[in-house]
Amino acid sequence: MDLMHHSSTFLLPTIPLHHRPSLTYALVVLNQTLPRFAPLLWKHAQLRLCADGGANRVFDEMPLLFPEEDASDVRRRYKPDVINGDMDSIRKEVLDFYRSLGTKIIDKSHDQDTTDLHKCITYIWDFAPDANKSSLCILVAGALGGRYDHEMGNLNVLYCFSSLRIVLLSDDSLIYLLPRTHHHEIHIQTSVEGPHCGLIPIGVPSRSSTTTGLQWNLNNTEMRFGGLISSSNIVVGEKVTVQSDTDLLWTISIKKL
Amino acid sequence: MPLLFPEEDASDVRRRYKPDVIKGDMDSIRKEVLDFYRSLGTEIIDKSHDQDTTDLHKCITYIRDFAPDVNKSSQLCILVAGALGGRYDHEMGNLNVLYCFSALRIVLLSDDSLIYLLPRTHHHEIHIQTSVEGPHCGLIPIGVPSRSSTTTGLRWNLNNTEMRFGGLISSSNIVVGEKVTVQSDTDLLWTISIKKL
Repeated sequence: MDLMHHSSTFLLPTIPLHHRPSLTYALVVLNQTLPRFAPLLWKHAQLRLCADGGANRVFDEMPLLFPEEDASDVRRRYKPDVINGDMDSIRKEVLDFYRSLGTKIIDKSHDQDTTDLHKCITYIWDFAPDANKSSLCILVAGALGGRYDHEMGNLNVLYCFSSLRIVLLSDDSLIYLLPRTHHHEIHIQTSVEGPHCGLIPIGVPSRSSTTTGLQWNLNNTEMRFGGLISSSNIVVGEKVTVQSDTDLLWTISIKKL
Repeated sequence: MPLLFPEEDASDVRRRYKPDVIKGDMDSIRKEVLDFYRSLGTEIIDKSHDQDTTDLHKCITYIRDFAPDVNKSSQLCILVAGALGGRYDHEMGNLNVLYCFSALRIVLLSDDSLIYLLPRTHHHEIHIQTSVEGPHCGLIPIGVPSRSSTTTGLRWNLNNTEMRFGGLISSSNIVVGEKVTVQSDTDLLWTISIKKL
């Protein structure tokens, strides 16, 4: 079984040059309050998308993260490449503003079968050349909190696109899928994340999961809702390894800096 | 609590909203707060030796086992504020408490949503209080895929439908009218939006 490496370098001020794995980042902004480190994610991303009302958030809240600067300058600097979605939340003034700056507007209002996040992931998937898909990592701001059915729908997107690296971020936590097809090495960026973490068997019970690097490691351990799940765990040191018979959700706390 | 009654004296509000019990591992409560409620007669249960269960789990256990005045039958319903949002592993641990105590009615509440378990052992009728909740809702097969779920009263009803993570789950659904029925081969999580009033 192949090894898959993970590292939250997107939370670091600068990404070390020879860092492995070497990834290309895309950012999707959903319609929730921007996390305080949104400008950092924006800086690391080569493609920036807003899902519908996420554009309102960038328009309204990016200037608030740079209070000493002129709001118009901030808005021009933080211009999304694409706004995608069913367009029922974005304000007309915001849409017109970004359209005039050259942002690509993709109106998917006819498609009510998928969430705005799903539409954005599909766009990135179709847009990225096949050769680059394995080195692609999609960062998502605003997927957690708010309406719980939305949060669950966003979580399901991770499972629907399990061959893509997708990271959901809030101010407090980040989460991503560890597909069962691989052994996993998670390199902990202790300056920005941890120590609180968890491994969650969403969707299907796990008959056997094994870890190293946690305070309470799993050793061929069963996990399921209604029984044991690994929450309130602690990372010990800088490397965690995970292997499991099912797709597990990894979550780790983000430090308040 | 005083912030929710800005026109009243803070001390009066605090005395009026006095918890019966404070329980947990006591690593977050401030000393001044502990002393204040202890002096008012609140029962303090220090479970700092028990690191195997979450604070919510400890509280549910207490209510189930020790609360003499609370009816332990199917008439009991435990409302939980503050279980969602914040650290995601905490949120998942709190969700798991619903599954661990599936015979108890437990409702997790945030400003935006409420969620509770619909155990597979029963058919369910959900009477929608349209003045305070809805219309956005969902049915989520968190722990185990569902081979067959059936509903009435939703915009997109399930009809002997399979649901699983990685495939179809019922999110961004809409309640139509005032009654929703659900039956399923697995425990499903019901969630509905709370109206901003």
